[in-house]
Amino acid sequence: METGIDFAREVKQYILDEFLPGENPDDLTDDLPLISGGIIDSIATLKMVLHFEERYGIVLEAHEADKEHLDTIRDIAALLASKAG
Amino acid sequence: MSVIAVAGVSGRKPDEAPLQGRIGLVDYLVVLAQLGLLLVLLRQFQIESGAFLRLATLAFAGFALHALLPLRWRLPFFALLSLAGIGVVMGPQNAAWLVGLGLLLIGICHLPLPFVWRGVLLLGAAAVLALQRAGHLPFPWSDAIWPILGAMFMFRLIVYFYDLRHDNTPATPAQPLAYFFMLPNACFPLFPVVDYKTFRRNYFDDDAYRIYQTGIEWMVRGVTHLILYRIVYYYLTLAPHEVADPAQLTQYLVSNFLLYLRVSGLFHLIIGMLYLFGFRLPETHNRFLLASSFTDFWRRINIYWKDFMQKVFYYPAVFRLRKLGTEKALVIATLYVFLMTWFLHAWQWFWLRGTALLVLQDMLFWAILGVLVVANSLYEMKHGRTRSLGKPAARSWRDTAVLIGKTYATFWFICVLWSFWTAESLQGWFAMWGALGGRYTPQVLIFPALILAVVVIGSIPGDSLRNVRGSAQNERAWQRTRLATLASMVALVAVSVEDLHSRFGTQVATFVHSLRSGQLSRLDTARLERGYYESLLSVDRFNSQLWEVYMNKPKNWLDVDNSNLKHFVGGFVQTELIPNFVRSTRFGTISINRHGMRDQDYEPLPAPGTFRAAVLGASSVMGWGVGDGETFEALVEERLNREWAGQGFARYELLNLGVPGYQPPQQLAAMERALALAPDAVFYVATGREITRAVAYLAEVAHKGIPIPYPELAEIVRRAGVTQGMDETTARRQLAPHGTEVLTRVYGRIAGQARERGLSTVLVFLPQAREGAWQEETPETLAIAAAAGFTVLDFTDVYREHPIESIRLAPWDDHPNAYAHRLVAERLFAGLQATRDTVFRPAAQARGQQ
Repeated sequence: METGIDFAREVKQYILDEFLPGENPDDLTDDLPLISGGIIDSIATLKMVLHFEERYGIVLEAHEADKEHLDTIRDIAALLASKAG
Repeated sequence: MSVIAVAGVSGRKPDEAPLQGRIGLVDYLVVLAQLGLLLVLLRQFQIESGAFLRLATLAFAGFALHALLPLRWRLPFFALLSLAGIGVVMGPQNAAWLVGLGLLLIGICHLPLPFVWRGVLLLGAAAVLALQRAGHLPFPWSDAIWPILGAMFMFRLIVYFYDLRHDNTPATPAQPLAYFFMLPNACFPLFPVVDYKTFRRNYFDDDAYRIYQTGIEWMVRGVTHLILYRIVYYYLTLAPHEVADPAQLTQYLVSNFLLYLRVSGLFHLIIGMLYLFGFRLPETHNRFLLASSFTDFWRRINIYWKDFMQKVFYYPAVFRLRKLGTEKALVIATLYVFLMTWFLHAWQWFWLRGTALLVLQDMLFWAILGVLVVANSLYEMKHGRTRSLGKPAARSWRDTAVLIGKTYATFWFICVLWSFWTAESLQGWFAMWGALGGRYTPQVLIFPALILAVVVIGSIPGDSLRNVRGSAQNERAWQRTRLATLASMVALVAVSVEDLHSRFGTQVATFVHSLRSGQLSRLDTARLERGYYESLLSVDRFNSQLWEVYMNKPKNWLDVDNSNLKHFVGGFVQTELIPNFVRSTRFGTISINRHGMRDQDYEPLPAPGTFRAAVLGASSVMGWGVGDGETFEALVEERLNREWAGQGFARYELLNLGVPGYQPPQQLAAMERALALAPDAVFYVATGREITRAVAYLAEVAHKGIPIPYPELAEIVRRAGVTQGMDETTARRQLAPHGTEVLTRVYGRIAGQARERGLSTVLVFLPQAREGAWQEETPETLAIAAAAGFTVLDFTDVYREHPIESIRLAPWDDHPNAYAHRLVAERLFAGLQATRDTVFRPAAQARGQQ
């Protein structure tokens, strides 16, 4: 299993590239609410989950696709780290 | 506001100390003062019901204590306050049953059994309750608890059970109690599906003062939505048969959709109230009128529903199906969501009403919306959609124009789809579009221009980040919002003060007065009246306020309904009362005599020396909801015989020929039956909107292809271009201009037949036992009757000075009760006394008396 990955950095880069092209990276902080803030919706969440599953060879569960686990870059990174660890 | 500033404080860091929900004394007093003002506002505008005002008072008083308690005591206190709220709204006995049943359901979720077995037990409990709700099994509690029990458990139990399975965070006993019995729910059968995890997770996760202030802001927004709703409901809504030209068609489409402001308003009130107790839940109804696509509409209109469906149905389906490929999984999961949405709406209706909801339009509506959302989702999946970090975006003119165009088109498309969903019949909906062939006037531009203006203003870029913690907002924006909320409350309270608004003239005073009451609109009142005699499918689809009235109506109300009281006899009149029918009801016995009259037995011909009058009318004459001998007809007859017997006539007989649901043209057939009974006089009892109802009946018989045996009426129908089999919407629209003539012919025929036989004729006008405008046709009706030769007894004010609750049967049945019948009887006796010479002398003279 891959270790030493900076999940937060990779998640942020993915979100910027995929969903927020042209936005200032400094504005996308680790604690910005993505789902509850209306920045990413169910389709974007789905795309993101599928991407990370493929990227890190992990499997996420349906009940993990929620605000508790995916609302901020910090939350997403923590989830990925727990799955990949 | 800087997004960076937002980001800095918007998420609670793992090492951050939990906020204690503390509030400074000044802030606390500011919140209390605003709640006091809000309470005045709720009272002044009679927001929702008296029960809601009591609940709001309890909630605001509870807040005053709750905010001062240590954080660990607050949730148990809220749970207790919620239980007290149920008691306040429902009474101790109903509350005890409701809480007991709720605890049973929650208890099953926590039994020390494998998860599957707990699920099976829950399904078993739901099945038993469903059988009881449907009336197949007995139950010892009142019908009144079903809607609220349903509202508390029908969806939240699904969410709760789902979270029990997947979330191992330890819970306190107060959490499920607070979640299921949450305070505002006792008043609201329509309630947002609050997510259990969010309910716990966001509890006091921000500065307490900011949370409270947001709650107040949303409650004020809710009140504003509800007042706007009333403007639409009372002044803009049209019936399909009233839509005669393109301008009215646009008005119909827009007003029909805007009725949804009521749901939006209620949800804001509910969520705002929960904020007062620290539950920082997602914002509801995010500018849903400005959706720019179908997926956008789905995301905005009922955010709580969307989140519920996404969590419990969409993600589990899409994750399970992902091996099929993302697109296929997305399509199937989305369609599954809409199938479940349709099913769960029917499920919701079952718990609220106790009846099944299987309507073709309902299924088609969700199917069409589902397909549109799928198509839109696939497009977004492939091409993405514009997202931002919530800052006002610098858009080009072209992008802005495209956005406005998309929003405008989406709005109108949704209006059309909504009108389809809420139409009473598919045939009527299609017929309504015939209005496009009507006259085009400048008024046709009013609604399109108004909506365009709203869309353009709404497209001005602004902060779009939702659900940001109050403490993360820019201080200036926060102060501005707070000030706007306060100003709105002060302005609305000022407007509601009679001394102030009455200075601007009668019209303004009448307008404000109408906005301050929660009565039914003229269209819903008409539907309510129709609902006494037929099943109203449209009421099964949450249309405006009427469904709430229906929701409270007990099953088998009166223990007898139209279907077993009347029978089909064919011909123009279609139905008559069943001879010799007897049934006990909760209001006394209903006995129909051998002649098919709700009355004592009479000989076919009167005995010598008897004065006999035939009383024609509908349900209020027949005595719907009162026992034998309690109708005003029976009371007056008894008094005439008690006080006048021997004075001119040995005996007085009033023959009750009233039949529930009879419209003016049907009284022509009743008149023929009356003449066979050799009366000396005919009393015709009219109860309002005679012209409209006469037209509606002719449209009905034309639609059914029933021949009209009265040449003068058949001629009007022919002249109006109404043909046999024509849909009722079109027929009513075409007959409407001839309404006055129709009623003139009906009254003229009755009076003419009476004149030929030397009978006196009296038209008794009875008002409806209801609030609101219902007498708009009364002056014209009375003028037509007088011109036809009737002696007119106008009892328009017979119920004045009497509270509506004291004279009607129930909120869902505004027939006069026994007390109201007594009031009418007194007036009728006095009226007959005053017109004794006109009404009784001809018969006396015919018998050679003086």
